[in-house]
Amino acid sequence: MLRNLQVYSTLTQPFRDPWGFLKERSRNPELWINLVVIGGAVLFLLSKGTGFAITVGTVFAIWAILAVSLNLVVGFTGLMSVAHIGFFGVGAYSMAILTSDPLYEQLRSETIPTFALPFFAALPVSMVMAGLVAVAMGSILNRFRDDIFVLVSFGFAIISFNVFLNWRELTRGAFGIHAIARPAIGGWEADGKLEFLLVALVFLGIVMLITWFIVSSSFGRVLTAIREDEQAIQVYGYRAAHYKMAVWVLSAMLAGLAGGLFASWTSFIDPNSFILLESILMVAIVILGGLATIWGSLLGALVFVLLEEGMRFVPFIPTEHIGQGRQIVLGILLVLLMLFRPQGLVGRYKL
Amino acid sequence: MLKYFSGERRLPSLSDITGSQRLAMLLTLMVVAYISWKIGQSAQQTLQFAFNGVSVGAVYALLAMGFTMVYGTVWFFDLAFGAAAAMGAYGVFYLRSSEALQVGQFEVQNVYLNVVMAAVVTGVIGWVLYTWLYPPLRKRISPSVLLVIGALLTIGAGIYMFVLLSFPDDLNEILSPLIGGMVAGAAAMVLSRVYSRGLLGTRNLTPLVVVIGTGALVLGAFCGLLVARTPGSSLYLSWGVSSLLAGSVGLALYRGLYMYMRRKARSPLIMLVASLGVLLAITAFFTIIFQSAPRPLPDAFGSNSWEIGGARIKPFNVFSIGVAFTAFAALVLLLKRTSFGKAVRAISDDEEVAKVVGINTTAIIAIVFFIGATLAGLAGLLSGHDTAIQPRMGLLLLLKGWIASVVGGIGNIYGAIVGGFMLGLVENYGIWDLAGEWKDAIAFMLLILFLAFWPKGLLPRR
Repeated sequence: MLRNLQVYSTLTQPFRDPWGFLKERSRNPELWINLVVIGGAVLFLLSKGTGFAITVGTVFAIWAILAVSLNLVVGFTGLMSVAHIGFFGVGAYSMAILTSDPLYEQLRSETIPTFALPFFAALPVSMVMAGLVAVAMGSILNRFRDDIFVLVSFGFAIISFNVFLNWRELTRGAFGIHAIARPAIGGWEADGKLEFLLVALVFLGIVMLITWFIVSSSFGRVLTAIREDEQAIQVYGYRAAHYKMAVWVLSAMLAGLAGGLFASWTSFIDPNSFILLESILMVAIVILGGLATIWGSLLGALVFVLLEEGMRFVPFIPTEHIGQGRQIVLGILLVLLMLFRPQGLVGRYKL
Repeated sequence: MLKYFSGERRLPSLSDITGSQRLAMLLTLMVVAYISWKIGQSAQQTLQFAFNGVSVGAVYALLAMGFTMVYGTVWFFDLAFGAAAAMGAYGVFYLRSSEALQVGQFEVQNVYLNVVMAAVVTGVIGWVLYTWLYPPLRKRISPSVLLVIGALLTIGAGIYMFVLLSFPDDLNEILSPLIGGMVAGAAAMVLSRVYSRGLLGTRNLTPLVVVIGTGALVLGAFCGLLVARTPGSSLYLSWGVSSLLAGSVGLALYRGLYMYMRRKARSPLIMLVASLGVLLAITAFFTIIFQSAPRPLPDAFGSNSWEIGGARIKPFNVFSIGVAFTAFAALVLLLKRTSFGKAVRAISDDEEVAKVVGINTTAIIAIVFFIGATLAGLAGLLSGHDTAIQPRMGLLLLLKGWIASVVGGIGNIYGAIVGGFMLGLVENYGIWDLAGEWKDAIAFMLLILFLAFWPKGLLPRR
């Protein structure tokens, strides 16, 4: 109760005492970073119209769910994982296979199993699938730390890409899967773009709440302790391996949720969406936004999405180079952050 | 022998062997059984896969040597070596694209790239002069004069590099004075060493200088002319140029970036993430300049392959295996026999103490990075000649080199070459019954197997 009151008072402070709040925070660079990023986003989207804003918002929501889920592992627990694209992909493929339309699939030459489940029935299943894969990966990854952990997680990202590409009976390889269902409940279907954005934002809110509950509970404090000193917390009788496994699986399930949303949003997936590079970009978002903050992951995802969309409107960059240009900027940002601000834009934990 | 009978020492029994050793024996047996089964199936195919494995393994071994050397010295994995590998391959493509594409090289000619590379070379040359020539000469010649001469030399080197990159069709002619000069210098050094012993007592040195100078000049001019008059030498020169360029970028990255980071980094992950950022940026830069489609490199030694025991191997693959072993021998000599090697070992033991003892740690580590990145560039261009090049190749090659160095035993140069060849062989035998696309997955399976049971690798560092 007391802690809830404290949270309430910190949340309402800007409204009760805006001048004092600003005065207190104006020394803090985080306020300025927030103002610049969010202000820039709002101005940019206002100038480009609603249809564009909706698309950007949906992309942002999916990346933000991914970043928040990855931050649980990278930021709060201190396990630098590049394997999250695997869980994202497992979620997306589960969603695709479970919901793809049997009538449409009959027309294809290579058949894959079809179930024609509705979106909201398939989503928990895809989360569970991602969780199961995470149990298998985690039991191996749990043995390693630091650089070797990174190397093995690279390995899992590559292995999962290979599985998506080559297990043709299930994923139809490079051809991809079409006609993935949109979220529908009762008679209402989120077939429009705005409806899907709303669904994605609701899920983002749920994921943020779950993450917030995790990190502010005693469980979350053990995670932080593992990050700071694994041996010390083991001395106190906590089994670090179990905690790491638990947070790993939870985070993978959230990533699977993001995958399900992504598959449903694009309604077509192929292995090229789940390459290793995307996973590296994901880590870059988390580090850019800030380690060990939920808010920072949102900020990182916002910067990331704005970088890509904003570059479309820079006159001297040709359209086909936008993805590469964003990658260059991200790479340089990563280097600069590591040099001058190892905790990311608004982070709580220095790498 | 008596000890065993008197009971002081008993003969080793099966129960002494640890679990991991038993597992190793079991695995070795399984591997031997698998290979002999395969030989029984088709001896020719087995040999073919072995050839394929060894030729790929040479590339992995080269990369692994660079990794293991850097990791053994500064304890972090420089992922930017992936970019160096891509750089080595694309350097050859850039310099020789008229041969590779059968069109003019102006399609890929890029002024910005030339400027960037020239700047990197300028920085590296300037650093080399300032680190090695400035301190000893400072006492004899006034520092301001020295600095001006050094600056002129450095800028000259940068302009030379820019010209070299801008006119790749005349690579051999542009490089010939440099090569001639280097040969002349080396000859002069060797000759003066040889003759100074016998003639040290003579008072008049002029005839000696004339003899040595003429000899060196003639030799240098001959070599320069030879290079300039053989247009076919351009390809081989471009190998050297592009791998040295990759090395220079590696050195510049250490001196300009990692050095400052290492001072305040509290975990190896900082460096890892930073080098990942470098890799991302350089890969994207290359994709913009050269497009993401795979490109060929010009044929090096012809496309007809040799037949040994029914299996085929390309002459180029034999060459790359030779390169791997030559580099290995050179590295071993460098690390075990020279004072540089001693300094490297001292730094890897304790950097602070090495600094106190008077080793210029910055310079030594920078050279280690240079060698590592040069090897990576060499590996990249060898693999590029073997298959095709694309900007993304760096990441995969880097991971393979990383795996090979961990499997072989990280920090051990012997382990790197063993691990590289082993990885190549395992990959190629692994895809015999599976599809070729599973290659990368098999490589990582090998890594996970090793890390689970022998985290120190095949040949652990003492």
